[in-house]
Amino acid sequence: MPGHRTKGFCASAAALALCAVLAGCSGPGETVGGGKVVLRYTWWGNPDRAERTEQAVAMFEKQHPNIDVTTSFSGYDAYKQKLATQAAGGDAPDVMQLDYRQIDQYASGGVLLDLAQQKSVLRTSEIDQGLLATGRVDDVQYAVPQGRGTETVAYDVETWKRSGVPLPGESWTWSQWADTMRALAKKTGKPGATDPGQSEDAFEVWLRGRGKALYTEDGRLGFTAGDLTRWWTFTDKLRREGAVSPAEQTTQLDGSVENTPLGRGTSVTDANWDAPASGFLALVPTGVALAPMPSGEDGTPGQYFKPSMFLGVSANTGHPKEAAQLVDFMINDRQAAKILGASRGIPVNETIRDAVGPELKDFDKTIADFQTSLDGKLKDPPQAPPSGDNALQSTFQRDYDQVSYARMSPREAAENYVTEAKAELRS
Amino acid sequence: MTTTAISPEAKPAPATTPKRRPKREREGAAWVFLSPWVLGATVLTLLPMAVSLYLSFTDYDLFNPPKWVGLRNYVQMFTEDPRYWRSVVTTVTYVVIAVPLQLALALAVALALKGMKRGKGFYRSAFYAPSLLGASMSIALVWRAVFNDGGTVDNLFGTGGWVNKPGFALLAVALLTVWQFGAPMVIFLAGLQQIPAELYEAAAVDGASKWRQFLSVTVPMLSPVLFFNLVLQTIQAFQVFTPAFAVSAGKGGPADSTLVYTMYLYDRGFVASHMGYASAMAWVLLVVIGIVTAVLFRTSRSWVFYASEGDR
Repeated sequence: MPGHRTKGFCASAAALALCAVLAGCSGPGETVGGGKVVLRYTWWGNPDRAERTEQAVAMFEKQHPNIDVTTSFSGYDAYKQKLATQAAGGDAPDVMQLDYRQIDQYASGGVLLDLAQQKSVLRTSEIDQGLLATGRVDDVQYAVPQGRGTETVAYDVETWKRSGVPLPGESWTWSQWADTMRALAKKTGKPGATDPGQSEDAFEVWLRGRGKALYTEDGRLGFTAGDLTRWWTFTDKLRREGAVSPAEQTTQLDGSVENTPLGRGTSVTDANWDAPASGFLALVPTGVALAPMPSGEDGTPGQYFKPSMFLGVSANTGHPKEAAQLVDFMINDRQAAKILGASRGIPVNETIRDAVGPELKDFDKTIADFQTSLDGKLKDPPQAPPSGDNALQSTFQRDYDQVSYARMSPREAAENYVTEAKAELRS
Repeated sequence: MTTTAISPEAKPAPATTPKRRPKREREGAAWVFLSPWVLGATVLTLLPMAVSLYLSFTDYDLFNPPKWVGLRNYVQMFTEDPRYWRSVVTTVTYVVIAVPLQLALALAVALALKGMKRGKGFYRSAFYAPSLLGASMSIALVWRAVFNDGGTVDNLFGTGGWVNKPGFALLAVALLTVWQFGAPMVIFLAGLQQIPAELYEAAAVDGASKWRQFLSVTVPMLSPVLFFNLVLQTIQAFQVFTPAFAVSAGKGGPADSTLVYTMYLYDRGFVASHMGYASAMAWVLLVVIGIVTAVLFRTSRSWVFYASEGDR
């Protein structure tokens, strides 16, 4: 090969390599030609939430012609993994939706911006102060909750009514709930509920109903293997009786409403968070209603109002001001609130809650009415779970899988979980 | 370019040929041509490997800087983590099921193709196609749908959803691998065509049946190729990830029955954010694959027959 061609080849190879490197380096908050600021905004949720969020974002872009927002969303399980990887690589999105369980880890890991720096554009005065505080870690406001959510027993109204079993009332205890599920299973021929044994959330409600908590205030495990054994023995028995979903269906849960037994038409109810329950409407077109979670045997409520879906800004963002503007818009803009409705729970901005509340319709209204029915009855939410909890959620599911497939006794699995949890919380 | 010395034009006086450039300059050119590979290998393979070796001695949660913990990850893995050992058992089970099945199928198809007079090229490509498609995520997802409850297999045979039954889920994963038998098949086919026809003729004259011919001619003559395929597929099988991930919807379930080694490694690293532990697992896997390969090579002396050594 003649010399001059080698040179040309080298140059083009170098250029190619450089291109690849540059392409790989496009970090968060880059500016594209024309001076437009580009923000990346990611969240998890169902298609309904996605559609409304896109509409709200489009309105934001109209109001801020210099800002371009690129969005992406996925189911919660996938979102959690992707965000952790992005954050570790210093490439977290400019604006990201976070769960209560993630705040501690992300804040202490230096991923999130101190929002007080952007006070001028991000107003927090109208937000319910108690809820606002849940976005603080070590007295720094790292994230702002977007809504207030709580757990619910969503049910297929028509199937339930046809079964002749009395509809759920204002409250029920776990044993009343269990009897109802048995009755439903008997009358309808399909399980009454999703097996709640796999859900750390349901276990927490049950635990709080007995006056305990998942975690102590210093971030240790708040329950014993005995407590968990009792819970899993309870659900294991219900599963064996056919009152709740069989293992083959329970194992397919992945955080989306589509893969719940209720969503697949194989059970009558599903315990879920109230906001995502809107997704059931598309799957159970004859109608879905909400009942409260069961309480302790002495009537102690276990469920609580949880700040749902925080918004945080990346500490690495190139455009902190614009990112904060987007957060402000999603939380404090009245037009945006109208579009978003209750897709992320009931709005945290009290002025907006009062103004938009009466205008809510369809399932948004169902959620709002459900929350109103619980107002004043519930106990304070627990503090943000320790960082290890993020991993423990899936460990919980895994260990219960061993129970529901009858590979371990409830006691064995519970002891396994407690050992794993203690190791996780120590590290 | 060590062959220059014997090239015809270099005969008169190699040292004084004006056309040839000095050796050093030619080496430089070689490095220039190698540079994309060297760059890739260093930046994308060697450096990350070195970093992962370091991380395996640390506690690293992706968010905070790694903390040196010495051998703790390794100790925890071997003594305190029952799920780790379950994943080891699952992986070995998978290897033992998938590799022999895949090789047997590849050999059977290769034998059938060898005897074909017409359409060989077509069938060879057709049987190879799954190997091209199978690595893709989409096929693995289709596989999950096929073996799920209400899927094709359930409807045809009333088996229920294999992917939701702990006793069958791993088999569904293994079948996805077995189905991709194209690469070993092509290698077998090439090996079969190398066996001299005289051997079969001689065997036939001696009155050997087809089965006898297979055992006494085909198998020994093919043993180097068989060995090559065995080593390659075993190494790959130990690292299986995509089929297990997709078929179990990313969870290694039901009841950890498809939680193969790399799936658990992924779970520790990316779900539980224990990158140090995951790195340690990766290094143990590397060492184990090395040992298994060495053992295979050691045993090969007693069963692999190289024609060139035949006279010894």
